[in-house]
Amino acid sequence: MSKAKPAARTSALEGVRVIDFSWIVAGPQCTRILADFGADVIKIENDANMDYIRASNPVPGSDSPNRSPLFNTLNRNKRSLTLNVMHPQGMELLKTLIKKSDVIVENFSSRVLEKWGLGYEEQKKLNPKIIYCSMSGFGHSGRDRDFVTWGPTAQALSGLTYMSGLPGEESAGWGFSYMDHTGGFYGALAIMMALINRNKTGKGQHLDLSQVEAGIGLTGTSVLDYTVNKRPFRREGMPPGNRAPDQKIAPHNTYPCKGEDRWCVIAVTNDDEWESLLDVLGNPAWSSDPRFSTMESRLINQDDLDEFISQWTINLTPLEVFDILQKAGVPAGAVQTPMERSEIDPQLKHRGFIAEVEHAELGNTKVESIPMKMSETPWQLNRASPLFGEHSAEIYMDLLGLDPEELGTLYEEGIA
Amino acid sequence: MNTHAPQTPPNRTDGALEGITVIELCGARGHFMGKLMGDMGARVIKIEPMGGVSERQIGPFIDDEPHPDRSLFFWSHNTSKESLEINIETSEGQRVINLLATTADVILEDFAPGYLPSLGLGYRDLSKHNERLVMTSLTAFGQDGPYKDYKSPDIVALAMGGIMHSCGYDDLPGSPPIRPSGDHGNKIASHYGLIGTLAALFNRDFSGRGQYIDASAHEACNSTTEHALPTYLYNGATVFRQTGRHHAAAPTAKTLCKTSDGKYLIVFQLFNNLYSWRALVGWMADAGMAEDLEEEKYKDMARGGSRGMRMATDTTDLDHAMEVVRRFIAAHTSDEIYRGAQNLKFPWGQVRSPEENLDDPHFSEDRQMFSEISHPELGDGVSFKYVGRPYRFTESPWDAFRPPLVGEHTRSILIEDLGYSTSDLETLISKNVIS
Repeated sequence: MSKAKPAARTSALEGVRVIDFSWIVAGPQCTRILADFGADVIKIENDANMDYIRASNPVPGSDSPNRSPLFNTLNRNKRSLTLNVMHPQGMELLKTLIKKSDVIVENFSSRVLEKWGLGYEEQKKLNPKIIYCSMSGFGHSGRDRDFVTWGPTAQALSGLTYMSGLPGEESAGWGFSYMDHTGGFYGALAIMMALINRNKTGKGQHLDLSQVEAGIGLTGTSVLDYTVNKRPFRREGMPPGNRAPDQKIAPHNTYPCKGEDRWCVIAVTNDDEWESLLDVLGNPAWSSDPRFSTMESRLINQDDLDEFISQWTINLTPLEVFDILQKAGVPAGAVQTPMERSEIDPQLKHRGFIAEVEHAELGNTKVESIPMKMSETPWQLNRASPLFGEHSAEIYMDLLGLDPEELGTLYEEGIA
Repeated sequence: MNTHAPQTPPNRTDGALEGITVIELCGARGHFMGKLMGDMGARVIKIEPMGGVSERQIGPFIDDEPHPDRSLFFWSHNTSKESLEINIETSEGQRVINLLATTADVILEDFAPGYLPSLGLGYRDLSKHNERLVMTSLTAFGQDGPYKDYKSPDIVALAMGGIMHSCGYDDLPGSPPIRPSGDHGNKIASHYGLIGTLAALFNRDFSGRGQYIDASAHEACNSTTEHALPTYLYNGATVFRQTGRHHAAAPTAKTLCKTSDGKYLIVFQLFNNLYSWRALVGWMADAGMAEDLEEEKYKDMARGGSRGMRMATDTTDLDHAMEVVRRFIAAHTSDEIYRGAQNLKFPWGQVRSPEENLDDPHFSEDRQMFSEISHPELGDGVSFKYVGRPYRFTESPWDAFRPPLVGEHTRSILIEDLGYSTSDLETLISKNVIS
């Protein structure tokens, strides 16, 4: 990449160009982060291989592939290029693009780029500085490398699904593809580490990510309990529901609130917070019972304790519990609904968390921000998710140097 | 202060973050950031209060003996760091942090907003003599706003962030939303805090200047709920939680299937494509359990692929097919179904407990996903298997070393890095700045 003059820099990843073959959620989550920081992310699709998420819960109105809410959220700030790499000329154009790029990201199963004749060794011949990030389910080596994952698969295999639930019941698991989000985080982390490293060494490399392994990486404490203490997580009484047996603190749970299926959480981590909680509750008679006099005894008697606390929470809304307790210094929260998060939460409003951007087909759309403020290079919302092929012409002509006639031929022959 | 010879970090030259020095002032919300940086070659100095950070009191412990140097919770989040045990509420302690910041690249901290500035350790103070400094403050709710002073342990972050709203049961009446265990609210926060930190480090290579990053667990969790917000914002619908599978605004088929050995698999995308469907039905027919699934109408559904399946308005056939598959699965072991289905390109997964991956040779042998880490402080030749690298770099590999004992490096850092003398240290001890 070219070194920009310091004064001209407004984005952290300015000057970084990313070839993005990724699709569904995990890969696009990764490249969304790069795009939010100002990298030029070129999302490559073609008619036969459209990002599947374009068809996810489309906003009614037409059959267009540009109406998916999740797609819009995941792909803002990127450019869309239609390119058929199965066509020899399409492959040549891709190779030219690789020479002009810094990063290649894909989350296909593990042999796809090799089958294209574009494994890392080939990429390196075209551009020794290229950073190739492959985000497969099981990695690019090992006996099960051809196995495939979606988010739920990676969550199940890594142990995360099992770790979520009430003891003695089936797994509650994760209600969404947590490991698509987190797999994307690890892709972005790895790419930025490799970019920082390349600033020193001048060399690119292959980053071989496995979605299951990223999940395993989040289970460190449980694995150590097994390797050190021979105590498996799969045992009676586990998973711990909403309690905190390792921290040995109580109360720590969900509590029912006013309204249908409404809940709050309360987590008392020390005696001061306990005293504050009792003050808020008006020091009821039960609270002077010796069963609740110390953290240890509260832990032993937490079933009864939770029952007493529920008698208080049931008359309040989750946000009332949150407000009252937090103002008294007691950690508590509302199990917030999507409506509360996007329309009520005054903190998210204050921080500008829900951002707005104009989309050519959907009009004014709302997306969640990247969750941080940077003093020198804040993220920018420059454009909504790209329409299918929206930037093909500018990329073919401005970046790859084709003239309008050549571009026309590409379209005619089904290459673009 | 630990007076034994401290563990010397391995002399690496190939880590991706080699040459970057990080000062970490973090507890449970942010300590994973420092670990991830240390494991990739950064030098991470963890600042701990006298007696060590409170995460050292969280279990499980080795042999269930509570002790600051025996917490496995601490271990799993603090590999590849040095420990400097110092009271930063003293002027001498603040001087040490100021000195370290002069040459550091990164400060990571997760205190309440305003705390470090009140000690003269805010970004403005610490960057005064180091314009290249990157500082990341990872708080519960951010540095400003109506909630900024509120507390947010993990379960609060997961509740307020909307994650718990999506996790739980649809077939257990009256059951609460579930907090997935494993400190994930803090981990999501740490992942984003580190993402910002790395972006700032990359930018610094060109701008020559560091910057301040104000990141919050609340926003991090709120941006990590997949369909929940888009479905509300665009379709005006609210997703609800379902047992062991995705949230949705309309009920979807159950994906948890029990096997003959009493374990569970996640089973979905039955009609992903015709090739897989035919192979699955063939497999079931060989076992005499295909029932009526060889009928043409199911092939038509598979031809439509996932998109066709979603378009289907009548789910009777889908539900029936799933029940037949469920019966087939119930007659086989978890391993048989997992391996058999994956060989047919179905993305089905076993619901494993974390330790069960130690027995999967793909991860434990071929991929070396678990890493043996030496603990000589517990005896000659003592080592334990840790969860290893979450990514495989061909040129700048992951490598971790043992988490530090409380104050293990206080002496070496003060003397070797900052030029304090032995008598300076004695003075600091007498003033209870260090121990």
